[in-house]
Amino acid sequence: MSSSVLSLTNVSKRYGDFTAVNRINLSIPKGSVYGFLGPNGAGKTTTIRMILDIIRPDEGEIEVLGRTSAMQVRNRIGYLPEEKSLYKKMKVWAIISYFATLKGMHRNDAKLRAFELLEQYGLKDFANATVDSLSKGMGQKVQVLSSIAHNPELVILDEPFSGLDPVNQEVLEQLIRDLKNNGQTVIFSTHIMQHAERLCERLLLITQGSKVFDGTVDEARAIIPRRVILECQDDVSALAGLDGVLSVCELPVSSEGRIQGTRQWELYVKEQTNPQLIMQHCFHNSISLSRFDFTQSSLHDVFVHLVGQEAREHNFR
Amino acid sequence: MRVTLLIAWREYLENVKTKGFWIGVLLVPIVFFIIFHVSSRLATATPTRYYLLVDQSGRYADSVESAIRREHQRRVMLDFMRYLQENRIESNSMAVSNEPANQMEQLIDDFGNDEVAALDDWLSNGGLAFALQMARPYLRADTPDFEEPRPQFVAAVPPPGLDLTAPPEQIVETLRPFLNGEQRLQAGDNQVSLFALILIPADVDSDIVRPAPVPAGMTDDTRPQGVQYWAGNLTDTRLSNAIQTGINNAIRQREYTQRNIDFDAVRDVQRTRLPVSRLDPGKVAGDEQVSLADTFRQWAPMGFVYLIFISLMQSVQYLLSNTIEEKSNRIIEVLLASVTPGELMMGKLLGIGATGITTIVAWLVSFFVFIRLYQTVETAMIVQILDVLLSSDLIPYFVFYYVCCYALYAGIFLAIGSLCNTLKEAQSLMVPLMMVLVVPILTMSFIAQDPNGTMARVMSWIPLFTPFTMMNRAAAQPPMFDVVGTTILLVVSTIAVLWLSGRVFRQGILRTGQPPRILELWRMLRKRTT
Repeated sequence: MSSSVLSLTNVSKRYGDFTAVNRINLSIPKGSVYGFLGPNGAGKTTTIRMILDIIRPDEGEIEVLGRTSAMQVRNRIGYLPEEKSLYKKMKVWAIISYFATLKGMHRNDAKLRAFELLEQYGLKDFANATVDSLSKGMGQKVQVLSSIAHNPELVILDEPFSGLDPVNQEVLEQLIRDLKNNGQTVIFSTHIMQHAERLCERLLLITQGSKVFDGTVDEARAIIPRRVILECQDDVSALAGLDGVLSVCELPVSSEGRIQGTRQWELYVKEQTNPQLIMQHCFHNSISLSRFDFTQSSLHDVFVHLVGQEAREHNFR
Repeated sequence: MRVTLLIAWREYLENVKTKGFWIGVLLVPIVFFIIFHVSSRLATATPTRYYLLVDQSGRYADSVESAIRREHQRRVMLDFMRYLQENRIESNSMAVSNEPANQMEQLIDDFGNDEVAALDDWLSNGGLAFALQMARPYLRADTPDFEEPRPQFVAAVPPPGLDLTAPPEQIVETLRPFLNGEQRLQAGDNQVSLFALILIPADVDSDIVRPAPVPAGMTDDTRPQGVQYWAGNLTDTRLSNAIQTGINNAIRQREYTQRNIDFDAVRDVQRTRLPVSRLDPGKVAGDEQVSLADTFRQWAPMGFVYLIFISLMQSVQYLLSNTIEEKSNRIIEVLLASVTPGELMMGKLLGIGATGITTIVAWLVSFFVFIRLYQTVETAMIVQILDVLLSSDLIPYFVFYYVCCYALYAGIFLAIGSLCNTLKEAQSLMVPLMMVLVVPILTMSFIAQDPNGTMARVMSWIPLFTPFTMMNRAAAQPPMFDVVGTTILLVVSTIAVLWLSGRVFRQGILRTGQPPRILELWRMLRKRTT
């Protein structure tokens, strides 16, 4: 019994001449928080729909919770679509309850659960309001709650953060953490890298239908050259010869707040190289450092690096 | 299945809970009854009309006045008859009909001048009060008093200065402003307008038309005018009709006398008649007399057809717009992760079908309620009609055909709805369907009159028409072959249509963009999955 809740093997989908998804492979372990990243039109939503068996792939195999079709285990999956919308005339608690019953909960249990969730996430006062009286952000929260009310093992959220204000974004982040703490597996797609950075353990980056990265967040960060700042009394230009160091260059620095004679050096470390290497080298060579700084590259930079060129040249659908 | 029912229940509740639904449902019976109420009140509410009679021939004044009195008597007696019927103690009996009133009408129409005079005497001597007293034991305790209607046509006082012996043209000229409403007459304390002028010229007898061997080519100029009836109101013809009848009776009476024919004998002869009984060979022996109920029963299928049609139109329109709306606001996305397209489609079909049935039941219930609250002769008749309809053996037919018809058309409309993003796009796909739907209604009365004729039989075999046509033929005992054959065909077609629609729905529901052309539609029908 594999511990992956979802695996895709060489999955493709074409619409006429256009290839929306091109031989995607992935495997998501149970209990992880997995990010789907990619520019607009990359194929994320199409991939998600194939996972959910809303559309069928042209090639490849999909296994969801041990079955070949998500429809067989639909009651164990929760889904938030990219285009958010609810029945306008229904009351908030009724909507959550209805979707929960569609997923197999009994009506009374669903109703209790609805009120429970509304209370937990600060929407208790709106329980009896109709959906069309809510603001967009609140409506979205309600829809998120509808997608998890039945305690699904696998939760798929397509752009859950879009349109939310920062406060609600935090609430949503907390919700995702709660799900993880509960042992549920969460997949979500987003454009906003900070969320991915904060929440995801693993990432998938798709562009133009193909996978360009699949790994942990740290692995992602290691992809682009990183900048290290050293401050010491010595000359470390010899570090340039070190394997993995791309460049060394001295920066002018004021002596305010620093020991007399301190020099500042900026190094660029190659992709995949651990900056700790430099510190080790300095240590071995008795170079005493008063500052050792490396900025983690942001996922944003990684994203732009991996995708940026193609995204700009891309024919937008 | 469970999910289908959940969807159906939600659709049903969402509809049935809205105010709009109930307003729509109750509007039909309310409008119906308002029209009923208003038309019956209007009949009694027309204002008094003043007329002027100028008889220069000296021979017809009596007949005219008698005709007008007879008209009034007829109203009085009719009203009295209705009053008695409405207020009878056992007022929901099946024997209520217009027969007694019709017979009374016929009787009075036959009255000659002397009989009119006699009836007038009777009425003015309290004959009506006497009849009322006799009837009182049979009337309900809370019956209001009988209000005798006012005379509607009253002789006006000629304006001062009118020379009654002047030539006709001059009289007309003098009175023209009064007829046009420019000037008014004095009647007691009020000023009233002149409704009509009845002018009988001195030489009117020369205008009498007698049958001739060959009528010469007559132009408008040579056509005799006879009695001149001047009135601006062209729609209220009661007065002119009454006068025409009255005067012609008088002329004929004279003719009979001139030809030495005994007028009384003629009248007796005219009142002699042989009744014709309508009997139905299909009925149980001893009960063959065709009653009012039987007549209703023969026309009942048309009522059912109409009911199916109205309910169908409402439901499928709603199905279409609901599907398009859910598609365009993308709620479909979240649904499809929880339900299959097939379950969604069937859920909608069931939910909205239940709404349609609720509508019909609500109509029937509200009709009954209104009838209980508002008892008149007309509503009593409606009760009769409803009793016949509801107890008839046509009900199983109605239920079966309603269900099949709804499923068939609902499948088609759901498929159309799934392909379109806006109602406008749907219009063009709907046009052929609407034309198809109109056919059963247009041919409804033809088929009711000729239930086993060629047109009826041919139409019965076309599945889109079968429910309407066969429903229409149901009371006329169509051949068993037709019934069984068309039923099988209908059921098979319904299943086929639902299955094909399911395929289209499955693919269409996720599409964005223009509805497909015929070729692509064909491919969609053949494709098994997305």
